[in-house]
Amino acid sequence: MTDTKTWARVKSPWVLHFNSGACNGCDIEIVALLTPKYDVERFGVKLEPSPRHADVLLVTGCVTQQCAERLKRVYDQMPQPKFVVAIGACACSGGVFEGNYNVLGGVDKVIPVTAFIPGCPPRPEAILDGVVKLLNALNPPKPKKQAKQPELPKQEDKPEGVVVQTAQNVVEEEKQIVKQ
Amino acid sequence: MSNNKIDILSVVASKLGNRVQIQPGYLSTGTIIAQNGLHRNVLKTMIDADEKTGITAITGLDFGENLGVYYHVHTSNAFVTIKAEVPKDNPKIQTIIDLHPGAVFHELEVADLLGVVFEGHPTSGHFVLSENWPDGVYPLRKNVKANEVKLVPTPKSEEITLPENERLVKIIIGPQHPALLEPEKFAVTVDGEIVTKVEPRIGYVHRGIEKATESRTYLQDVYLVERICGICNSIHAAGFVECVEKIAKIEVPPRAKYLRVIALELNRLHSHLLTLGHAGLEIGYETLFQYFWRDREPIMDLIELTSGNRVYSSLMTIGGVRRDIKDTDIPKIKTTLKDLRGKLPFYRQVYENEPSLKLRMKNVGVLKRADALKLSVVGPVARGSGVDVDVRKDEPYEAYAEIPFKEIVYTTGDTWARMNVRMDEVEESINIIEYAIDNLPSGQFRIITPRSVPAGEAVNRVEAPRGELFYYVRSNGTDMPDRVKVRTPTFANIPAFLKTAIGESIADVPANFVSLDPCFSCTDR
Amino acid sequence: MIDFTLIFRILVFPGFTFIVLLTLFCDWVERKIEARIQNRVGPMVAGPAGILQPLADFIKLLTKEDIEPRDAKKTIFKFAPLLAFTIMIFALFFLPVDGTNIFSTGGFSGDLIVILAFSTIANFLLFLAGWASCNPYGTIGSARVLTQFLGYDIPLFLIALTPAFIAGSLSIAAISAYQASHLLPFIVLAPWAFVLFLIAIQAELEKDPFDVPHSESELVGGLETEFTGAKLAFLHLTRDVQIVFGSALVVELFLGGPNGPVFFGIPWFWYTLWFVLKLLAVVLISEYITTVFARFRIDQVLSGNWRILLPAALLSLMLTVALVTWVYPLVV
Repeated sequence: MTDTKTWARVKSPWVLHFNSGACNGCDIEIVALLTPKYDVERFGVKLEPSPRHADVLLVTGCVTQQCAERLKRVYDQMPQPKFVVAIGACACSGGVFEGNYNVLGGVDKVIPVTAFIPGCPPRPEAILDGVVKLLNALNPPKPKKQAKQPELPKQEDKPEGVVVQTAQNVVEEEKQIVKQ
Repeated sequence: MSNNKIDILSVVASKLGNRVQIQPGYLSTGTIIAQNGLHRNVLKTMIDADEKTGITAITGLDFGENLGVYYHVHTSNAFVTIKAEVPKDNPKIQTIIDLHPGAVFHELEVADLLGVVFEGHPTSGHFVLSENWPDGVYPLRKNVKANEVKLVPTPKSEEITLPENERLVKIIIGPQHPALLEPEKFAVTVDGEIVTKVEPRIGYVHRGIEKATESRTYLQDVYLVERICGICNSIHAAGFVECVEKIAKIEVPPRAKYLRVIALELNRLHSHLLTLGHAGLEIGYETLFQYFWRDREPIMDLIELTSGNRVYSSLMTIGGVRRDIKDTDIPKIKTTLKDLRGKLPFYRQVYENEPSLKLRMKNVGVLKRADALKLSVVGPVARGSGVDVDVRKDEPYEAYAEIPFKEIVYTTGDTWARMNVRMDEVEESINIIEYAIDNLPSGQFRIITPRSVPAGEAVNRVEAPRGELFYYVRSNGTDMPDRVKVRTPTFANIPAFLKTAIGESIADVPANFVSLDPCFSCTDR
Repeated sequence: MIDFTLIFRILVFPGFTFIVLLTLFCDWVERKIEARIQNRVGPMVAGPAGILQPLADFIKLLTKEDIEPRDAKKTIFKFAPLLAFTIMIFALFFLPVDGTNIFSTGGFSGDLIVILAFSTIANFLLFLAGWASCNPYGTIGSARVLTQFLGYDIPLFLIALTPAFIAGSLSIAAISAYQASHLLPFIVLAPWAFVLFLIAIQAELEKDPFDVPHSESELVGGLETEFTGAKLAFLHLTRDVQIVFGSALVVELFLGGPNGPVFFGIPWFWYTLWFVLKLLAVVLISEYITTVFARFRIDQVLSGNWRILLPAALLSLMLTVALVTWVYPLVV
């Protein structure tokens, strides 16, 4: 039954797009995904209007002060299991607006992020690649016997205070929630 | 266009010459220095003399001991700056919103960001800054550093004032709403289905760009200013760069001017196709949206061909353009434009004959010519209501004086007219690009300029896809600007939307709104 | 005595399972048609050519967290979607799919009115569901659903009477049998009624150009805004079953139902095949109309109903009565 659940979740990710103070470049590229040249509906992705219906939150923008509270609220309204994708250099770290007076700088200062897609703006192919990689991470192919898993850096090797937060760790956490 | 050209400076000189100081030829047509409330008299004289007078922008500056309040006024054939100063410890100045209602937003912004008190124009709460911003801290003042501002820990929760009459319902549109690509809040009060009041709250995309330009060099600022808006990015860069070139008295080579025109018109093409498609989405016409955006993709390919990036072409720089067009690329550009031109008759036919589209767009959101003049709207919104303003024709910049093209004006003033203005401008842009490519002068495409810009100030107006874009740059002789002021076209057009929405059905609000072509990242900067 | 045949018919074929599978299949067909007209491809990844996409959507929604707003009216919020779904399925049971209806009877006189009443009750339950969610968008969306379907029910009933009048009976089985025995589907005998019925069904099903209650740009999610998880899954499925129901009604009343030539072997296979083919044809026409038009405003929808469709329905009925009384006995 778990396999069917994961299969359904991977084949039907509904997205909600939230602009937290962006210049529109990334937003236009996200809307361009629906158009004939890129056609994201092939993957079952639908752009939903209400937070209650969506699985994946696509966030663009450098998170201004006014939008921070709204972003948190929209994230809380989404039902589990949910994932957040930060699209664009501004959403990853603040971009060119880092240090400005109304800017928090980066979506991960407000909500936990599953995937970062850098670029200014990232091409629609890059956004699609990021979304597909996120989906494949949820449903990893069974490892062949010959393939050797790459070694993750051990925690003791890093200096104190630095936590290695790889995409794998985040995906493991989300999978725990998925199993509930 | 009025046949009798009014010399506005001599009109002002004859009425108030002994009480104000006039500097003809400085900062475009001229500058008038008026203190002690005389700015009201000057403005009233200008409005009485010329009906097309309107406020383009109000710039607030910090001079240390005083605060400067500069009124940038446009008339039918002139552009005048009225300068006034107030002391910082008592920053009071009389308002002008009774003379010109279109100045409301400008005064609110200067009051919020610089702390000037406009007597006769009461303000409550913040206009652009967030609710948890501490009182008394004005970001554009020189002593405020961006990372030292301590925010109020618990923000005051915004009270939603319920309308007095119980029949009325208050609907909040935004900040997260499928119709708006960007976050803004509109509190719409409806009586049944008819809209009675619209209260906007902007500032959700305010990224403090004007303050940030003061701590970056001119060349870095080109990239920063470009990112005010992702859709009209080239024109922001062009407006800023031309302003700096005016201060430094740099003459750009002719080939660079033509290349700039090509980049700007490609930008205009993709922006108009975007709006035309987005309008389809708002009225439930998904098929039209898909078709328009499908035809927009070859233009994005052209932008990538000429500059290397799909959206941010970053071609403008101080002294010219950063790249040249290769001769091997020109056939591809011509073929793509020819294909796009061949598709336009189909879309024209849809707009002429499709009954469901006409039902949604004709006689919706009508803006009469008199209101358009009073609120000084710009761009396709103005040209759809019969007001022929186009900076490319009124005050040609770059190579526009040498390139023949038509100015598109429709008179009905409804949504349908505004969308048709944009569609015809698509064809005109194709004509301009083809002419520019055929007549491209040879020579350099860039000259190297010194890093520091000599002290001075300049104003510059360019025509963005959404309307007139205004830049004011003040330099103090170093390699970082002292003040950069941007007035974007949507900032000027939002009051018009508030007016056109009242009295119509709430179901028309999305279609009406998108015909305005709003760009809130431009508005908030 | 347990009637195993009846239980099989209700649960598997042509009952519950068959209807649900047909609904999911029609959903896929619609999405593909819409994508193709828009120059795109549509769902491709879930199963071969994306045919499992609606099933994936349904299962995914079932596994999501169920959130109930504090202010929502609990009982209606919880049960209205499931109840609406059940009533629509039950209404479909009365339509003959493989020659006779589920209960293997010839129906009863007046079952046409009964199933139209069921459809109205299901719509009303959807309205209540949106109303109970206590969300401003839900309230406005459900109010629009109510005004629209109540308005369009009247011409729908009137136009549905046209085939009943020609066949001389209010029983669905009798109507489709009349078309089979006279070898003339009513689309030929009363084409004006067919066109008007298609328009009325388009409005009942809230499809473009009448899909005001689902307009995202004004109403966010409409009446579905607050629903998540299993309740949302059943709301979507109810809407899709309504589309199948509307199209099946068109097939039964105007296209001759499941009747068609039987070539060899078992008759019920061929009846089902003709039924499904005709259903797909109606779905194709309906989806084509959806994609090609923009959306009307709510006041245009309502004024179109009262000023154009209702008088047209009355005229159509009068014309049919006149033809049946004086012309058809001589010709048919």
